[in-house]
Amino acid sequence: MSVLRSSSTPNRQLDILRILLSTPLISIAEVGHQFGPYNVTIPSVRANAYAAAVGGDESPDYGDSLAPIMVVAAALTELIKDLGLFSGGLQTVHAGQEVNWVRQIKIGEKVYAAGRLSANSIRRGNHFATVSVSYTDSSGTEIGTSSSTIIVSGEAS
Amino acid sequence: MTSSNSQRAVGDALKSFERTITQDRVDAYAEASGDHNPIHLDESYASTTQFGTRISHGMLSLALVTEMLAINFPDTWHNGGKLKVRFSAPVFPGETVVIYGEIMLIDESDAGLIVTCSIGCKKPDGTNAVSGRATVPLE
Repeated sequence: MSVLRSSSTPNRQLDILRILLSTPLISIAEVGHQFGPYNVTIPSVRANAYAAAVGGDESPDYGDSLAPIMVVAAALTELIKDLGLFSGGLQTVHAGQEVNWVRQIKIGEKVYAAGRLSANSIRRGNHFATVSVSYTDSSGTEIGTSSSTIIVSGEAS
Repeated sequence: MTSSNSQRAVGDALKSFERTITQDRVDAYAEASGDHNPIHLDESYASTTQFGTRISHGMLSLALVTEMLAINFPDTWHNGGKLKVRFSAPVFPGETVVIYGEIMLIDESDAGLIVTCSIGCKKPDGTNAVSGRATVPLE
């Protein structure tokens, strides 16, 4: 999956700072920090993998359409990478998820995900971060939203 | 509204199903989502974590819940459906989970009838791995 990164100045400064300090972004990002937009277009090979993972005898026939939750998962993977949560020593828990979806999407249809850090607090030594995401199609029309809450422990913050 | 939707009532259980979360399913989900975190895939790494072994992706459990909603509301879940869930416990490869739902409320809105359901993914010991609510238009 190709990843499109925002070139906004505040984000770039934070990226540089993070690299210099070898610190996960979640430690220094402020509420309002923007992520992406990511290209979360799902090709057929990944749709087939999803069917192998999730499907069963009772599953509906999606035809050439996708379960939208798959796009949400693809965006979440990119967000976790950008937040620096694959760093060694961090224990990450996906605590909550919200999803709203407007219409079905097709396999291979261009979908972009733009995230915004909507909460980032420390309680009892753990980071609680919430990222809100807007999904748009190739015309720029919003076709869904999501919100993911992640708890990170084991961080020297 | 389909005839099956018009017959729905508060308290109705949604069609549920069981699924055994095999490591093959977890591996396939990693390919689908792009999430190759070793806690899901690498037993030697996972043995060093708080869980002591590999765990399934939380989003795989949630995907099963949305599958259940697509089965019960084939015409409308993907066109206006909403959900809010919390992840309470990990699912370990080899566990068989039950994906369930129940109608809690049927409301009339400007857009038509909206059903609110409790939804979840239950582990073999009866605890919820995922639980929450979904709202789905009925027409």
